[in-house]
Amino acid sequence: MYFQKKRCIAMLLAGGQGSRLKVLTENTAKPAVPFGGKYRIIDFPLSNCVNSDIDTVGILTQYQPLELNEYIGNGQPWGLNKSHCCAQVLPPYARSKKSEWYKGTANAIYQNIGFIKRFDPAYVLILSGDHIYKMDYAAMIAFHEKTGADCTIAVRDVPLEEASRFGIMNTKPDGTIYEFEEKPKQPKSTNASMGIYVFNWKVLEQFLVADEENPDSENDFGKNIIPALLETGHKLMAYTFQGYWKDVGTIDSLWEANMDLLGKKPAFDIRGGERSRIYARNNALPSSYVDQDAKTVNCFIAEGSEIYGTVRHSIISTGCFVGENALVEDSVIMPGVTIETGAIVRHAIIGEGTRICRGAVVGGAYGPKEKRKISVTQKNAVVAENTVLLPGEML
Amino acid sequence: MTAMGIIFANIYDSSLGELTNKRTMASLPYGGRYRQIDFTLSNMVNSGIRHIGIISRFNYQSLMNHIGSGEEWDLELQEGGLEFLTPYSMSHNSSYRGKVEALHSALEALEYSSGEDYVVLADSGVLCNIDLGKVLEAHVASGKDLTVVTKAGIANGTKQLDLAIKLDKGGQIADLAVDYVATSEYLASMALFVISRELLVHHVRECMARNRYRFERDFLMRQFQAGNLSVNVYEFQGVALFNESTEEYFNNNLAIIGKEVRHNLFGGAHPIYTKVRDRVPSYYGEDCHVENCIVADGCVLEGNARHSVLFRQVTIGQGAMVEDSLIMNDTVVGEGCELKCVILDKDVVVRPGTKLIGTPNNPVIVKRGEQI
Repeated sequence: MYFQKKRCIAMLLAGGQGSRLKVLTENTAKPAVPFGGKYRIIDFPLSNCVNSDIDTVGILTQYQPLELNEYIGNGQPWGLNKSHCCAQVLPPYARSKKSEWYKGTANAIYQNIGFIKRFDPAYVLILSGDHIYKMDYAAMIAFHEKTGADCTIAVRDVPLEEASRFGIMNTKPDGTIYEFEEKPKQPKSTNASMGIYVFNWKVLEQFLVADEENPDSENDFGKNIIPALLETGHKLMAYTFQGYWKDVGTIDSLWEANMDLLGKKPAFDIRGGERSRIYARNNALPSSYVDQDAKTVNCFIAEGSEIYGTVRHSIISTGCFVGENALVEDSVIMPGVTIETGAIVRHAIIGEGTRICRGAVVGGAYGPKEKRKISVTQKNAVVAENTVLLPGEML
Repeated sequence: MTAMGIIFANIYDSSLGELTNKRTMASLPYGGRYRQIDFTLSNMVNSGIRHIGIISRFNYQSLMNHIGSGEEWDLELQEGGLEFLTPYSMSHNSSYRGKVEALHSALEALEYSSGEDYVVLADSGVLCNIDLGKVLEAHVASGKDLTVVTKAGIANGTKQLDLAIKLDKGGQIADLAVDYVATSEYLASMALFVISRELLVHHVRECMARNRYRFERDFLMRQFQAGNLSVNVYEFQGVALFNESTEEYFNNNLAIIGKEVRHNLFGGAHPIYTKVRDRVPSYYGEDCHVENCIVADGCVLEGNARHSVLFRQVTIGQGAMVEDSLIMNDTVVGEGCELKCVILDKDVVVRPGTKLIGTPNNPVIVKRGEQI
């Protein structure tokens, strides 16, 4: 088989368990978690790639890969199924000498050096599959090329009081990184790493091989590869990103990111034109139906849904049913959920295929300053008739 | 038992006036996210038909754009798949006069198909969700030469039917008439036929040799009356919507707001496929009031809508009221507009404050791309 040489290919780390999403990732990898009515989290980095003219993406999967593999399929929804481009799922596999799980982010890439080499790329873009954002990677790669860096790391400005939760890049005025601190107690700057890296492939390959030989390494980009590059005097640049970006690694942040889509001027505008559209695998569903007695206020409703009740400040995903006199408020309803007559759902994330039976009550209401507790149901859960799922409770 | 499909894309174009000015009947938008041909194509694919020829005579650019390689219908195949039979790709270099002539131009596709036993012939003016596998089985079991799929309750004493059939008490054909304003005891042909491939090729040749080019009149009725063609009548029990005039098209679109029609067309095990557009879900604003509506993806609804079908990526401005109307893809209804019984074609812009009032029998139609 002939492989065309590529200027840049992307490697998307999609193997994370996402254990902080609790019941939502019990049987699903985090990148496959539904988002925004008809998307899954992985659609964002994948669509960003396509919109940035990156047409070869290796997707590293490990934890609960079945649904994710099925979702990506041959890459057709993202236009990545042509003869010159691909979306290739890369699970860990048995080798002649040794076989093992991906031990860390760097090890996952190390184990797929063979895949990368086939395209002989100048640059490799490392992405993670658990962030919601739209970004033009082409601009970042152009910056990387222009500055002549060995590695460029995308950073965003975070409030100083939150900086100790992130990997912080301390830079000189020209953007050169001189120090990296993982979750510093006393942060010196507010440039938080977004986990998006552009590497010169030759340099990265060399460091991956060296890192693998170091038995004390955790084989992690943030903890091992970046510090090693800094120690050896390589040129690392910070690339500042100013748009919306959210790590949806927790129940609260997943709920917030969904709510950020709502409103006349949303915090994150999911709509987009030619180069900012988010692509997803689409099912053959009819248009949605909104009944005579329905009320739909400040909400997204995806195709295939039938609404007979009231929906306020919520996301209703594909193929959902909201029955008569049911109320859905401040909630994320994932695909294929049935909310029966008179049921009430507030401040909740309802997992795919869940059935909320007649008269059941999920979650609670909060004032603007009160601390919310999000109720969650896992995939295909059933909340029985006239029962209650308390605020913050999980099923 | 295998079958190939033939779809006639242009039937009734002229009776839909402005709506088919720049598109075929087959590519007419329907039900929010669909084109009419999606129903015919999906019915065939859902019944295991994997070789489909689409015969079109003009205005087929939008149709080809919609269907592409057929991948949404899983017709992107090594063998069989989808064939566009357009005038210039066939032996004739002018347009055809009737379905028999069209089939004559498509003989190559029929004769050299990969050996299917039967041909299912359909047009895209009648919308339904039908299991063609059952029709094929019934055709074979009947031992007849040709099966015509029919629907009761369409003939009403005012509508002219292409083909009307009356059965006697024993279920035998008592009368078979073409271009006929039939009374309600007649069954209406759904322009859906099954015939063996060999027999079809034979009859098409025989007809054209005598300059007979119309399918229902010159072939079906004539041969049936002469005793050369036995006809099996299959009565379809599901919902069938005949879109043969602007008025029917308008009312049949609004009909899917009703639960029975909607569930009959979309609720079963056989989905209707269409081209994916990757639009975001529809957004309902703070002050909108939407009731009794079909809403496709990508809409931004800040205003009000009642008993209407809103196609993909429609915008309704604050304070506007859309009632009993069809608003097609990418159309913008400005703030404070008042619309009733209106068909806005694609890419229309209605300036704020405009008032447009039609009637159910005579909806106001605004042509594609117009600004009013």
